Amino acid sequence: MSEKIAFTIDGVTCKGEKGQFLVDAARDNGIYIPTLCNIPGVNPKSCCRICTVYVNGLPMTACSLQVFDGMEIINDTPALIEQRKIILEALFVEGNHYCPFCEKSGNCMLQALAYRFGMLAPRFPYTFPVREVDASHPKIIKDQNRCILCKRCIKAIKDEKGRSIFAYHRRGNKLRVHIDPKLALALTDELAQKAMDVCPVGSILVREKGYRVPIGQRTYDKMPIGSDIEVKK
Amino acid sequence: MSKPIVATASLAGCFGCHMSILDIDERILPLIDLVEFNKSPIDDIKEFTKTCDIGIIEGGCCNSENVHVLKEFRKHCKILISLGECAIMGGLPALRNGIPIGECLKEAYLEGPTVKNNVHKILPNDSELPMLLDRVYPCHEIVKIDYFLPGCPPRADLIWDALVALITGKEMKLPYEVIKFD
Amino acid sequence: MSRKITIEPVTRVEGHGKVTIHIDHEGNVTQTRLHIVEFRGFERFIQGRPYWEAPVLVERLCGICPVSHHLAAAKALDVIVGAGTGEGLTPTGEKMRRLMHYGQFFQSHALHFFHLASPDLLFGIDADPAIRNVIGVALKHKDLAVQGVLMRKFGQEIIKATAGKKIHGTGAIPGGINKNLSIEERDSFLKGPDPLNADKMVEWASGALDFFKTFHKGHKELIDNFSKFPSSHLSLVRKDGAMDLYHGVLRAIDSQGRKILNDVDYQEYTQYINEEVRPWSYMKFPYLTHLGETDGWYRVGPLARLNTCDFIPTPLAQKEFELFRAYTNGKPNNMCMHYHWARLIETLHAAEMIRQLLHDPDLHGNNLVTIGKKQKEGVGLIEAPRGTLFHHYRINDNDQIEMANLIVSTTNNNEPMNRAVNCVATSMMTGKKEITEGMMNAVEVAIRAYDPCLSCATHALGNMPLEISLYDQNNSLIDRKSK
Repeated sequence: MSEKIAFTIDGVTCKGEKGQFLVDAARDNGIYIPTLCNIPGVNPKSCCRICTVYVNGLPMTACSLQVFDGMEIINDTPALIEQRKIILEALFVEGNHYCPFCEKSGNCMLQALAYRFGMLAPRFPYTFPVREVDASHPKIIKDQNRCILCKRCIKAIKDEKGRSIFAYHRRGNKLRVHIDPKLALALTDELAQKAMDVCPVGSILVREKGYRVPIGQRTYDKMPIGSDIEVKK
Repeated sequence: MSKPIVATASLAGCFGCHMSILDIDERILPLIDLVEFNKSPIDDIKEFTKTCDIGIIEGGCCNSENVHVLKEFRKHCKILISLGECAIMGGLPALRNGIPIGECLKEAYLEGPTVKNNVHKILPNDSELPMLLDRVYPCHEIVKIDYFLPGCPPRADLIWDALVALITGKEMKLPYEVIKFD
Repeated sequence: MSRKITIEPVTRVEGHGKVTIHIDHEGNVTQTRLHIVEFRGFERFIQGRPYWEAPVLVERLCGICPVSHHLAAAKALDVIVGAGTGEGLTPTGEKMRRLMHYGQFFQSHALHFFHLASPDLLFGIDADPAIRNVIGVALKHKDLAVQGVLMRKFGQEIIKATAGKKIHGTGAIPGGINKNLSIEERDSFLKGPDPLNADKMVEWASGALDFFKTFHKGHKELIDNFSKFPSSHLSLVRKDGAMDLYHGVLRAIDSQGRKILNDVDYQEYTQYINEEVRPWSYMKFPYLTHLGETDGWYRVGPLARLNTCDFIPTPLAQKEFELFRAYTNGKPNNMCMHYHWARLIETLHAAEMIRQLLHDPDLHGNNLVTIGKKQKEGVGLIEAPRGTLFHHYRINDNDQIEMANLIVSTTNNNEPMNRAVNCVATSMMTGKKEITEGMMNAVEVAIRAYDPCLSCATHALGNMPLEISLYDQNNSLIDRKSK
C-alpha cells in the first residue's frame, strides 16, 4: 500500500497517495483541474500551463506536481479563471480555429475549455497565419492551421519499436508538429484513430470519417468538460 | 418610457444569424412589443431615422461598403453587438485571408469549368461595385464592439436571452447548451 | 436633364444588391442594372480542404437555404465516394436527406411568403414603408403572422431532427447520412400538439394558397401583368416527368413549351451550361451553351419548376397544379408574380411530402452510408427553394479539393431579374418627373418575386440594399434615393 496523504483544494480536505500527480489526485476527490496538453499514463510536460494552480501561494502546474502532505491548493478563483481564459484566447488567435466547419467541433478540448471558462471572443487580434494542410500520408491528414503544439501526439503515438511518429520541426513561430513520412506508412488503422483521438483539437484527422457523430451526441454538446469528474463528488 | 430601438445589418455573413433571430419563433410577437425596429434588412427602413439603442451586426468586413455600414452603425447605435462567428472572427469568408484576392477572382471568373467562354478575361470591376479589402476583418478590428454572441449561427435562445437581458437590465443566466462556436 | 436612380440596399431579400437606373434628359430609361456587390471567393479558398468537409463548409454560403448547399455538395461527394447518384444511397440515407430537404422547402417558402413578400400584397406596393414589413403584418394580421412563424418553425424542427441543428447542420455525409429518425422524433411531427403537426401544416399550406388565389381574383392586373415577359425555364424533373426537388434529370423548355434540354444527365452539365461574366456585377450570367449568351438565358425556381414538370406526385398539390396549368391553357406561365402562386403550390407539396415520408419505416433504418469505388470528380444537382443548384468538385490523390464550381439558384435567375428591373423601371418611370418611393419599391417587388438569395449568388451574404441613383448623360450623379 502506498502512503496516504491529506491536502486541501479551495479549502476542501482531500486524500491522495504519495507520488500521485495533483490533477489525478484532485480527480479522485471529484475536483476538476483543467488540463489540455496532459494525457493520463504519459509523463507530463506541463507545456500549456492551463492547469496552473496556487500551491501554498506559489503558481505551479498541477499536471506535473506530485501531491504532498499538508498542501494548500487554490484552484477556483476569478483570477485563475481569467488566467486560463487568457491562455485559451491566445491559442485561438495564434492559429486558424474555424469551429463552424471543423469535424472535431463538439469533441474538441480547446473549444470545450473555452465553453467552460466562458470565452465569447478572444481579447487579442487574430493573426490569420498561413499554414499548410499535409494530406500526403495514407491514413491521416495533419492540418497545421489547428495545431496547438501541445506535444500529445509526439508523446503518445509510437510504433512497436517505441519510435515517435510525430516530431517537432523548426523553432519559434515556425515550429510545427510533423509526421515522419516513413513511419506514417506503417501506421495501423488503430494507431491512426488513436492519434486523432489523442489530438485535443482537429489537427490530426483520420481520412473519410468526419461528421459521423450527429450534433447533440458529441462529447461536449450537453455537459461541460470536467463535469464527469465533478459528478463523482 | 419609450421602447428601445434595435437596428440590424448583415455584412460579409450568410444571413444565418438573421435567420437564427427568426428562430426565436413565437417569441417574435413579444419581441415586437418589447422593441422598435429601425434600419434592418427584414423591414424597408434603409437609412437610420433615429439613434438606436442596440445595433446587431452579422458578418465581418470584406469590402469598403461593409466598413462604411459598420461605421454608420457605430455612429447611430449606443450598444453594438457582434452576432456570430463572421462578425467575431471573420468566419468562413476569412478563409481567403492569406490568399491573394486576385487568385480568388481568377478562380471564379476565369478558370472555372463554366466560364470557358470568357475569352476577353472580364473581371467584375465596375465603379458601382465596392472595393474588396485585402482580407476579411472581424468587426471589432474596425470599430468598438460592446458584446459578442458566438455561434454559427448563435442559437436562437442565446439571442433571445441576451436581448431580453439588455432590454430589461437583468443578468443573463445562460444554460450550457446555448453558447457554441459552431 | 438626365438622371440615375440607385436603389440600395434592396431589402426583404437575402443578400447584398443594388439597382441602378439611368434616365436621360427626355425621361427615357436608358440603362437598368441589378448589381451584386459582394464577393467571397469560395471556389478558391476551399481548395486544399479535405473533400468531406465540403457539405459543412459550403452550406455557409447561405443561412437561409443551407440545406440545399449541404445536400448538393453531399450529392456531388456521393459520386466521388462511389455511391453513385440518386438510387445509390441506402433507403434510410436517401429518405432522411429528402425529409431534410422538404423541411427546408417548407420553412424557406413560408419565410419568403409570410415574412418577406406578404407585406407588399397585404399593404400594397406603395404603402408606407414603416408598416410595410413583417412587423406590420404581425400587428395588423396577427393570425397570418403566427401561421407564418409556426410553419417556418415546423420546417426548421424537421431540419434539426435530420441535420442536428436548424441552421448549418451536419446530417448529410458523403454516401449517406449520420443519423436516422427516432420513433419519438417521428411522433413529435405526426402527432405533435396542435398546430405543430404535419396534418395542420398541410391544412395551413392549403390556406395560404387560398389566400393567394383570393387575392389574385381581386388584383388581376397586378398579379398577371406586373413585370411579365417570356423566357425559357429550367429545372430538375424525375425521370417520368414528375416534380422532384431532390433528384432527377435536367429539363429546359422555351417560352412556348418546346423542350430545349431533353431530360439530360446532370453529370454532363458543363456540356450544356456556360456563364457570362459582366464587369458590373459579381454574379455571373448562366446560359444554355447551344443557344448562346443572348438567347440561352432561362428562369429557375418555383415558376420554372411548375412549367417544366408534367405532374406533381402528391394529390393536393397536383390538383392545384392542374388549376395553375389551366390558367395559361397548358402553355408555360411567364407571369412574374405567379412565382408566388407556384411557390405556394410547392409549399403544399412539401407539406404533403413531409407527411408521407414520416410514415415511411425506412427513416428508422440503421444502414446509413454507402461507399463504392472512389472517383476524382462529381457533380451534385438539387432543386433549392430558389431554383436549380449546381455543385461540382474535383479532388486530388490526397483527398483534397482541387476544383470547386458552384452555380447557385439565384445566379441562374440573374438575367431574368435584370429584365424584371428593366421592365418595371421602363413602364413606371419613363417620362415621370418625380421618382416616388412606391416606384422604387415596385422595382424591388419584381426582384423579390424571384426570392433571390444574393448571399448565395455571390457566395456572399447580407441585406439586399436597394439604391436608385439618378445620373445625367455625363454620368454625374444628380439624385440618389435609397431604401
